[in-house]
Amino acid sequence: MLVGRRLFISSAVFGIVLAVAYWLVAHEISGAFLLGFMAFALTFLAGYMIVSEREADFWGDDRNADHPDAEGNLLGTYTIRSPLPICAAFAVTTAVLGVVISPTLAILSLIAVLALGALFIVQSG
Amino acid sequence: MGAAASSATFSGERSDLLSWLTTTDHKRIGILYLVTSLVYFGVAGALALTIRTQLARPNNDLVSSHTYAQLFTLHGTAMIFLFVAPFALGLANFLIPLQIGAPDMAFPRLNATSYWMFLFGGFVIFSGAATNEGAAAAGWTSYVPLSAIAISTGLGQDLWIVGVFLVSVATILTSINFVTTVFVYRAPGMTMWRLPIFTWEMIATSLLIFMAFPTLASDLLLLFIDRRFGGHAFDPAHGGDAILWQHLFWFFGHPEVYVMILPYFGVVSEIIPVFSRKPIFGYTGLVIAAFAIAGLSMGVWAHHMFTTGAVNDPFFSFVSLLIAVPTGVKFFNWIATMWGGSLTFPTPMLFAVGFLINFLLGGITGVMIASPPIDYQAHASYFIVAHMHYVLGGGSLFAIFAALFFWWPKIFGHRLDERLGKWCFWLLFVGFNVTFFPMHFMGLEGMPRRVFTYEATGQLPLLNAIASAGSYVMLAGVLAFAWNVVLSARRRVPAGDDPWGANSLEWSTSSPPPEFNFTALPKIRSERPAYDARVKAAEAEA
Repeated sequence: MLVGRRLFISSAVFGIVLAVAYWLVAHEISGAFLLGFMAFALTFLAGYMIVSEREADFWGDDRNADHPDAEGNLLGTYTIRSPLPICAAFAVTTAVLGVVISPTLAILSLIAVLALGALFIVQSG
Repeated sequence: MGAAASSATFSGERSDLLSWLTTTDHKRIGILYLVTSLVYFGVAGALALTIRTQLARPNNDLVSSHTYAQLFTLHGTAMIFLFVAPFALGLANFLIPLQIGAPDMAFPRLNATSYWMFLFGGFVIFSGAATNEGAAAAGWTSYVPLSAIAISTGLGQDLWIVGVFLVSVATILTSINFVTTVFVYRAPGMTMWRLPIFTWEMIATSLLIFMAFPTLASDLLLLFIDRRFGGHAFDPAHGGDAILWQHLFWFFGHPEVYVMILPYFGVVSEIIPVFSRKPIFGYTGLVIAAFAIAGLSMGVWAHHMFTTGAVNDPFFSFVSLLIAVPTGVKFFNWIATMWGGSLTFPTPMLFAVGFLINFLLGGITGVMIASPPIDYQAHASYFIVAHMHYVLGGGSLFAIFAALFFWWPKIFGHRLDERLGKWCFWLLFVGFNVTFFPMHFMGLEGMPRRVFTYEATGQLPLLNAIASAGSYVMLAGVLAFAWNVVLSARRRVPAGDDPWGANSLEWSTSSPPPEFNFTALPKIRSERPAYDARVKAAEAEA
């Protein structure tokens, strides 16, 4: 993950330099805030990579690794198909659409979104 | 990792409607994205033809000014939010796990959810056309006060906001999936510096989406609150700021341009080496250039706002001009890859070369209008229409067709017809340039963009007639492609696993690939594992 860490750290440094340079040159608050917030988000990502993913080690990072070396390495559970995604997307769509055309639809859809979200979590567990 | 991937291979996949509605297979989701975005392209193209027919002669009254405003709003929205960017997401959905040797995306159900949100978001955007006052008519940029409740009183604008919001959330979720998949799910030996350029470009694109799209979502939310709940974020009469909309919108909008072009830089970077029979020139330089473009694109948003007088012109002009440097590096690398190669020109390569020519022209006018004095003259004129269409139409669209012809055999197991493919290319190339090149001169003659008609002065009638004729030549090119799809599907001539003699890992598996992608992975020792495996097999035979 060394490349990933370097990528996020260099992005964060670039974001900070750009935000500071913009403020010094332009003294304009909207853009400076946007760039500052972007720099903060990138710094947060870089910090996460440095602190939490420091020990991350993947077979993909080993230049000399081969397919059989990773025997038994679990990737997680893969579903081939699930009705949840289309239901969840439909519920989210009707929820936001409900805000425009009908508050009742929005509330009912929001309940459906929460229920489907819970089902997602239960199934993932 | 690899063992789990290879042992989980399935065959005999169902193909009924329910299996498509409930699929979480990245390849099927990729195909759904590709087909959906092409359908939206068809709709957006029909709108564009209506626009060009209206403008074919001066003082035409085919459509009213309000209808015309809806037409260009839906055309721009569909092209940007529902076609060019989502097509790249579809391509990446199909290709990324295959290119890195993974069985699927990191979050398959989230992936499917993102697709359906994108599809429904598009429906919501277009549903405005069925309302009493019609669809949104404030342009794809939806500038305030045009999009404010005082001017856009109908439900269409609200539905536009909600639809674009859904699409933007779906895009953010997909980009999270891409980055996680690439970082975590690479096959053994597939180090980051062995990733195909297309996958690298998608990482850069995903980072741009992380940074830019939340700004769009918040911008839309503020506008929605202003319209429906009496907010005043963009209302100067109550302490708001109309220019704030432009800041927030373009903070998303300019990176969005690169969200729509970086994946296609990746596409041509995959195609050119294959048909030059050489490795890509300057692999590391291409990757660094992609991230340089992505980074710099976050600092140029206000070059769209030079004429507001509310931004620092020199800063944005300087950073905008800087982007030409990494873009030039990419062009140099593509040309150097072709230089001295054993060049062949099947349809994907023709489209890739067409991309280089058109994008170069769009890039040159981009450098011109990055200069404030020129931008002040050209702003909101047809010169800008020409520039953006050369970048996104001549650039992205040609790369999209290059990708379709190149990866079609991998996706569907049979090739598209070459003769019809070449007809498609030449009709599109000639049609595109006949349509959009005259627009530079229309702009210089002072024709503003987004006007529904014009007076018969100067060269405008002739230039508009030429542009409109060109758009119908483009239609013929698109129809040639559609006929090619039908004809090839009837013939179904098997393509084989690697019809082009290509380089990256997806060409090592069957066409189309099985569920979970690979029955066996070759050794990965360079950024060209399929090529390495081919050489090794040839050596073993000898």
